[in-house]
Amino acid sequence: MLIADLLKQEFRKGFRSQAFYRGLAVKLFMGFMTLYFAAIFITIGFSLGKILEEVHDTRTPLELINGASVYIILTALTIRFFMQSLNTLNLQAYQSLPVKRSTLVNFILLKPLFSIGNYLTLLVVIPFAVRSVSAWHSGWVALQFVVVCILIIWMDIWLASYLKRRFGSDLRAFVVILLILAGVAALEYFKVFSVFGFSMKIFGFVMMNPLGLVVALLVSGMAYGLNLMFFSKNYYPEKFNEKLSRGENKVTGGFSFLEKYGTIGELIQLQIRLIFRHKRTKSLIYMSAVFMLYGLLFYTNEMYSGSPAWLIFCGLIVTGMASLTYGQWVISWESNYFDAILTKNIPAKTYIKVNYFILIAFNVISFLLSTPYLLMGTKFFFLHVAMFLFNTGINAFLLIFTATFNNKRIDLSARSMFNYQGTTYKSFLIILPVMFFPMLITFILANFLSFNMILLVLGLLGLAGVVSTPYQMKLCTQQFVRRKYALAEGFRESE
Amino acid sequence: MITISNLTKKYNGTTVLDIPALNIQPGESFGLVGNNGAGKTTLFRLILDLIEANSGEVTIKNQPVARRDEWKSYVGSFLDENFLIDFLTPDEYFAFVGKLYNKSEGDISAFLEKFSEFFNGEVTGNKKLIRELSKGNQKKTGIAAALLGDPQILILDEPFTALDPSSQIRLKRILNELQETKNTTMLISSHDLNHVTEVCKRTVVLEKGKVVRDIATSDDTLKELESYFAV
Repeated sequence: MLIADLLKQEFRKGFRSQAFYRGLAVKLFMGFMTLYFAAIFITIGFSLGKILEEVHDTRTPLELINGASVYIILTALTIRFFMQSLNTLNLQAYQSLPVKRSTLVNFILLKPLFSIGNYLTLLVVIPFAVRSVSAWHSGWVALQFVVVCILIIWMDIWLASYLKRRFGSDLRAFVVILLILAGVAALEYFKVFSVFGFSMKIFGFVMMNPLGLVVALLVSGMAYGLNLMFFSKNYYPEKFNEKLSRGENKVTGGFSFLEKYGTIGELIQLQIRLIFRHKRTKSLIYMSAVFMLYGLLFYTNEMYSGSPAWLIFCGLIVTGMASLTYGQWVISWESNYFDAILTKNIPAKTYIKVNYFILIAFNVISFLLSTPYLLMGTKFFFLHVAMFLFNTGINAFLLIFTATFNNKRIDLSARSMFNYQGTTYKSFLIILPVMFFPMLITFILANFLSFNMILLVLGLLGLAGVVSTPYQMKLCTQQFVRRKYALAEGFRESE
Repeated sequence: MITISNLTKKYNGTTVLDIPALNIQPGESFGLVGNNGAGKTTLFRLILDLIEANSGEVTIKNQPVARRDEWKSYVGSFLDENFLIDFLTPDEYFAFVGKLYNKSEGDISAFLEKFSEFFNGEVTGNKKLIRELSKGNQKKTGIAAALLGDPQILILDEPFTALDPSSQIRLKRILNELQETKNTTMLISSHDLNHVTEVCKRTVVLEKGKVVRDIATSDDTLKELESYFAV
């Protein structure tokens, strides 16, 4: 069957791509992180039943899950909408071959179902079904529960990719989804309409009544159908181009004052243009701005504001989200023209310096924007000062140094939607240690130091980093020169 | 000017390039021909320090190229679209590259003025981004940018492909003029034997990574090459 052939080709593409041959250390780390998360998920799955039994006296754990289902599905959909990369295929290569277009479309839609990453939730669902659902209800219901969960995952995948194809991942879509979620929560909170009760009825039927299985099948079939409809209208890549190129030329001048600063100024201006002319980098900046509000949630919540480690984490996010997310791909952003970087008159030292400046600039801007938190207390202000120093002195170095291992091409200027490369969970895993290391320090220090002392320690660590920046840059330059061949080779390999 | 000694490059155990010795004199125009996979681009990438040699080295002005920056200020090159910054307009790209070589805005526009015939009104002065240009116009952009820094050494990989016939003739004229007026050292590769013999005074044939012919261009060169490549 043709779809099977296509799947095989995709599989080969994965195995033959550069990323697969990454160093052993990275593989080990990835393997470790995967196991770690799998273990956490399975543990949650096994204990979920017990936890829910304590939440409510009369209702069974499954009933409670059913009630929360609308929220869970909407949240999962939102996360997917932003995290899930669109399933791509170099369509033009296949369009000219005698492959039926319906085959191609079906392939694009079915491909994600074969990606293991999409089934992580099952690590929670299956233990819960085995342990709790089968005990409270019956083995049959437990089985149906698992099957329906898989169908819901499929529906989420298709619905998210439909929404993404239809609306793109711009800020407006994000706001709309937030509003819907807030609206639903508000209805619940003011007891106008209990989504929980409604959800419990609907999903009670879907999960427990054999006919519910048919309903679940129909609904995910409909999500699939929506995609089919979309593709039947928008099949040719140039259709997507029209949509994408609109309004892309806006920032043309703007930062010309940087030109005074010679090569460094030119390179900074180039990266600013890069950020503002690509959807992916732009939405990254928007998201960082949204994350700056994180503090409102954390600092007001007793559970977090009482815990030093969480406060540190939040401070890190508020003052460093932009530099952390941009920084983890800091060299890869320029993979499209990396050969130019290496052969034009740009000394390696200058190049590293520019990337430092960009990350530090992100930190400074984030810090300045975070000063209104002063209204909530000086404690938070000092927290932000310490984390700003830590981000600038230590995390900037870690990000740039480790960026030299990231030799996967990021094709920001992919022409059509079909070539869109999105965020993958792998890159997400690399950022985790950078985020959790300060938390870990705090967690240990909190046993014998006050919070202010911890801030002082972290701040001083950061300050020491800031003072040693020239030395750090030297290290990074050496590392960059050592790794540049591997980077260039990886970047040349287009996906 | 450029000295290559004992240079080898292997991919997965297969030797793709093996050049015991090769000298290129200042002002020489060096043409590189060969079939697909002969190692032309590999050689250029080694000279430009884009890939690492398994043994041997390339020196420019008696300084090794590998892991150094000095040569970048006087070598201009264009191999493929990875040398272009595709989200800029050609004008922005020229301004960017020009500034890297310490050119003032006046220098840059004077330089582009000379290329207006070659550009044929389709490259500069447009709001189009480089990624939206045709392959031919992208190539023109890359070639012009390689020349923008007044390089003493110019390295071009397949500059004639994707250009229309008029542009090919114009490019040849530009290259010949550069040799006469600025004595630029040139390394140019091509599949097309005609173009190479018209522009280059020395032609080197690569086959499976080895230099198999090294001839000073004369009236017979084209015939000699054609008979060599004839199957």
